Amino acid sequence: MEKVLFTHVDQPEQHRIETYVKNGGYQALPKVLRDYKPDEVIDIVRKSGLRGRGGAGFSAGMKWSFVPRDTPKPKYLCCNADESEPGTCKDRVLMERDPHLVVEGIIIAAYAIQAHQAFIYVRGEFVYPAFRMEQAVAEAYAKGYLGRNILDSGYDLDLVVHTGGGAYICGEETALLSSLEGDRSLSRIRPPFPAVEGLYGCPTVVNNVETLANVPYIINRGPDWFRSHGTEKSPGTKIFSLSGNVKRPGNYEVDLGVPLSYVINDLGGGVPEGHTLKAIIPGGASTPLLLPHQIDTPLDFESMAQAGSMLGSGAIIVIDDGACMVWTAMKLIDFFQHESCGKCTPCREGTAWLKQLINRIEGGEGRPGDIDLILDVCGNIMGRTICPLGDAAVMPTESIIKLFRNEFEYHIDNKTCLVKTSYPLA
Amino acid sequence: MNSPHGSVHVTIDNRAVEIPLGSTILKAAEASGIYIPTLCAHKDLTPFGGCRICIVEVEGMRGFPTACTTPVEEGMIVRTQTAQIQSIRNEIFNLILSEHPASCLICDEKDQCKEYSVTVRKVGVTTGCRFCPNDGQCELQDVADKIGVTELNYPIYYRNLPVEKDDPFYDRDYNLCILCGRCVRICQEVRTANAIAFKQRGRHTVIGPAFKRTHLDAGCEFCGACVSVCPTGALSEKSRKWRGKEDRAVTTTCPLCGIGCQINVLVKQEEVMGVLPAEAPELNNGQLCVKGRFCIPEAVNTYKRMKRYQKLEDGVLVEITPDEAMALAAEKLATCTPDSFGLIISPDSTNEDFYVAQKFAREAIGSNQIDTTASSYYDGWFSEYLKLFSIGGTLEDLRRASVIVAVGLDTRYGRSVMGVELRQAMRRGALIVTIHPRRHNLSVIADVWLKPPWRGTPRLLNDLMTLINDPRHNVIVSDGADKLDKAAAILRGADSTVTLIGSEFTPDIDCDKIYAAVDELAKATHARILPLPAAGNLVGSIFMGAYRQLSPGGGPSDHMLDVHNMLHSTPSDDKTGGLYLIGVDPAPYRGTAEFIISQNSYPAENAQAADLVFPAAMFTEVDGTMYNQEKRLLNLHKCVDPPGDALPNWQIVSRLAARMGKAGFEYATVEDVQAEIPPIVKGAGDSLIKRNKIGVMTKKTLEEIRAKRARDGMPTFRISLDEHIFRGYPLSRWVGGMRIIQPVDTLYINPADAAQFGLADGEKAAVSVNGFERVWPVIIDDEQPSGEVRVAVNAAEWNMRYGLSITIRKHNG
Repeated sequence: MEKVLFTHVDQPEQHRIETYVKNGGYQALPKVLRDYKPDEVIDIVRKSGLRGRGGAGFSAGMKWSFVPRDTPKPKYLCCNADESEPGTCKDRVLMERDPHLVVEGIIIAAYAIQAHQAFIYVRGEFVYPAFRMEQAVAEAYAKGYLGRNILDSGYDLDLVVHTGGGAYICGEETALLSSLEGDRSLSRIRPPFPAVEGLYGCPTVVNNVETLANVPYIINRGPDWFRSHGTEKSPGTKIFSLSGNVKRPGNYEVDLGVPLSYVINDLGGGVPEGHTLKAIIPGGASTPLLLPHQIDTPLDFESMAQAGSMLGSGAIIVIDDGACMVWTAMKLIDFFQHESCGKCTPCREGTAWLKQLINRIEGGEGRPGDIDLILDVCGNIMGRTICPLGDAAVMPTESIIKLFRNEFEYHIDNKTCLVKTSYPLA
Repeated sequence: MNSPHGSVHVTIDNRAVEIPLGSTILKAAEASGIYIPTLCAHKDLTPFGGCRICIVEVEGMRGFPTACTTPVEEGMIVRTQTAQIQSIRNEIFNLILSEHPASCLICDEKDQCKEYSVTVRKVGVTTGCRFCPNDGQCELQDVADKIGVTELNYPIYYRNLPVEKDDPFYDRDYNLCILCGRCVRICQEVRTANAIAFKQRGRHTVIGPAFKRTHLDAGCEFCGACVSVCPTGALSEKSRKWRGKEDRAVTTTCPLCGIGCQINVLVKQEEVMGVLPAEAPELNNGQLCVKGRFCIPEAVNTYKRMKRYQKLEDGVLVEITPDEAMALAAEKLATCTPDSFGLIISPDSTNEDFYVAQKFAREAIGSNQIDTTASSYYDGWFSEYLKLFSIGGTLEDLRRASVIVAVGLDTRYGRSVMGVELRQAMRRGALIVTIHPRRHNLSVIADVWLKPPWRGTPRLLNDLMTLINDPRHNVIVSDGADKLDKAAAILRGADSTVTLIGSEFTPDIDCDKIYAAVDELAKATHARILPLPAAGNLVGSIFMGAYRQLSPGGGPSDHMLDVHNMLHSTPSDDKTGGLYLIGVDPAPYRGTAEFIISQNSYPAENAQAADLVFPAAMFTEVDGTMYNQEKRLLNLHKCVDPPGDALPNWQIVSRLAARMGKAGFEYATVEDVQAEIPPIVKGAGDSLIKRNKIGVMTKKTLEEIRAKRARDGMPTFRISLDEHIFRGYPLSRWVGGMRIIQPVDTLYINPADAAQFGLADGEKAAVSVNGFERVWPVIIDDEQPSGEVRVAVNAAEWNMRYGLSITIRKHNG
């Protein structure tokens, strides 16, 4: 299968501008600046069908086209590199190994929406990726790909690498904008959407790292080539971060629409010997679980939704029969409770109750009725919060309980696990 | 309904509503009388959408949008009371209450409980289990009632946070906090003080200043806006915690500075219990400063209030009847000649007090020797200050201004309502230039902060003027010409400028030059000027002819008495005549007159300071009028009865005149006094005095002072005054919290100067000026300009403020 984004990631020195250019980099940018009007760039990207790789899967070209053209306000482009969902580690590789691909994508996107200031909001803990991005930005400035009058086109763009505030919520696009403005990272109310009123109250586009990294390829090779990968509604390739109980965990780039089993078994080598597959979290910690019989579900936005889960950010977490699902649920909810921003009641109070209840069951002090109470609390959070992070906490929790209710009941009745976890517990 | 953007039609619970486009569903519901419960929403704040209690159902919209954040659209169909909404709302409310002690909401015996808990409590009692000071004034209780919550699904998770009581004026019990964020938002959006924020995350979220600072250090103005908007008992006023609901509220005017904020005085059991801001959009617009919000109950209810007439007998004050007192006073005053009589009145008195007092001096005694204590504050340069009033602006001008120049203004504690106006102006795009020698609360928000060195202000203003006229002119000032350039550019390009005058330069030795420069600057830039006097009714004292050199109506009056000189004169044996002090600390005047009548609400520190003492009513106990800094007529309304024999000032003065057999003082009510004023004082009945000149003074004093200055040389020492003075005494004397937020009697000195005198931080300095000596603790302050020390003092030490022969030395012990 043809690699696209990962074509050069394994090459040494790919992060240096000379290597990047030698390998065909910075060819899309001159072409865009020379041949295309901003609207034409948006049109090409829309035609390619590129969908956001951050989790929601919204059409990138469409998002760009929402930016008002005749506004006197400045416009901004923000690259969301606050990758912090458990299991997801794809953007990190791109930033560390091929940072100029991201920079080039940002410049083209910024040109398309006619922004003259762009930001890369890098997760605070990503010290090394941020360093590589800063190095790349400095090199791009030195070579005239950034700054005033880029490649004599008359187009100006400044790009700033900003390290984040160190919270999961910072990756939520409106909270990211608050954080970038120097405020506490709290989600904002939509509408107005960022494309109309975002950073500093100005039209802003927020795109994921991987989304932007696709842009130079789409420009170079055209929308039709892009559509030759993936499915009709989910074109292109996608990086999947495979983790959990598999032999060969790692980042794998495949065409969208390949079966889940291809990534888990063919690429990842399947679950370790002597174990059988128990469940799969297919799209990052915030997505509902799939069962072994669903392993042939195609990895694209529509099929995943049809199977009752989400493609999400493409972090596949494999769980085998050696894992207690109560413990798994506890680890997940501990994360979401810890990362609840505290702004709105259902998420703040609800996740705290979920954590308390699930920890109680795991600790052998569960009471009859706790399971229904958990589902009740889940119902109180789902769809009632400002940002999707409330839902993110509920979806895996609700799904685990529905699929593995027997393990929870066993835990409450017997004060111990039905399945003894055979891995060292973190 | 008309609106610039047109209106839309929506249907809420089957009721058709027409509402301006851009309104939220909540506004539309409120406009049509439909109740949607809310907790985090507040009329003065931007929508937050945090509590989620206001969720509604909108046809065609996914999920359950919150009414407070969702804008209306044409044809929208909204349902607020479906069974599903009610159940979800109930569940969300349950989640909120899972962290909030809720026995007062759902206990079966809550009604009986109320009966048993009528006492004012500071400790737990055996009946009832309430630990919230806001019982009966809590929005959670209202919502619980309205949505009918009777039982809770979740156990209470008590956070067990320590109650924060260290800062003055209000306590914080975050165990009762529901994190609605109103306090944070009002502090950021309306007050723009940004003292508090959300801290931590998720369930650990708490409110408070970041980085473990105290509220004092975080820049809290103690304006109490957060306490006012708190829907629960989490924030509560120290002075009325546990007192419950007021019996009634009376709207009146705060006389603690010249803004004239409208306040709602809360009264319970015929006592002033607390103060809340009144709406008054043309004035304070629902805002107050620490003085108006928190200080008034303590200041008017102090147990030291004067209740009885007293006379000095063998060195002690003994109570006498009002009749005896009047007889004694009349007898003494009968011996006074016009030249041997003086009447000094506090500049925070009412117009009626001023009018009757000056009439008493002029008609009953035949003397023009009447003055206010403000004249010792403004000194001989008052005529310059008066000029600034003549191009006076209004708050309305300020709200329209594109450039605002603040001269010597710090709005943290005093005049903080003006600070709010300033920051709101800044938010709508106005540019701000502040001129102040030290870091102050405007220095961080101003576009340009001009920082004059000691005695450098007149030159700085003149340089600014030069640059405005000629941008290419090359001026070098110690402050750095770039900033001056920027300020000049801002002023040159301004289409409407307003200059605000604070207190910093008022007692300055260069005051006349500074005000003359400000006057010139204003004329050159077509600016309006809004002088912000510290004294509550300075304008009234000018108008009514109570300020020295001025007659009723503001015309010149000769033959004046110079309070300042009297203060300076040394006690001698050949003193003659009498002094009638109204709302003035008599202590500094002792020894200057044969006898002193002190009419005040507060007692003097030294019982021997006055011969006769008359108890006066407070502003909360009288009806009357005042003028604010804009020359706007404002009403005072009686909230409670005065204690004991105390009466309004004008009434005591009238009675005394009557007792002396003088006609023309037969006023039965305050309206009788008011009826007499307009024919004498032109425009006195108007709500806003439009005429420019409100007073014309002779130049004599100014010239005298300039001559004296030329003769004596320039002083090198300045004592700034505690400007929070009321009825002759600093507020901090009666209000504990004021002592904490603004320490008086502490010497601030530049590090270089301190080194010269061998002083270290925390040591004591003995300062001797004009033959007086005081010992003050030293704080070394980088912000203090070299060559000048600063110490806020009480009125009694005003005579030390211009030191010609000054020595500072280290004080041991």
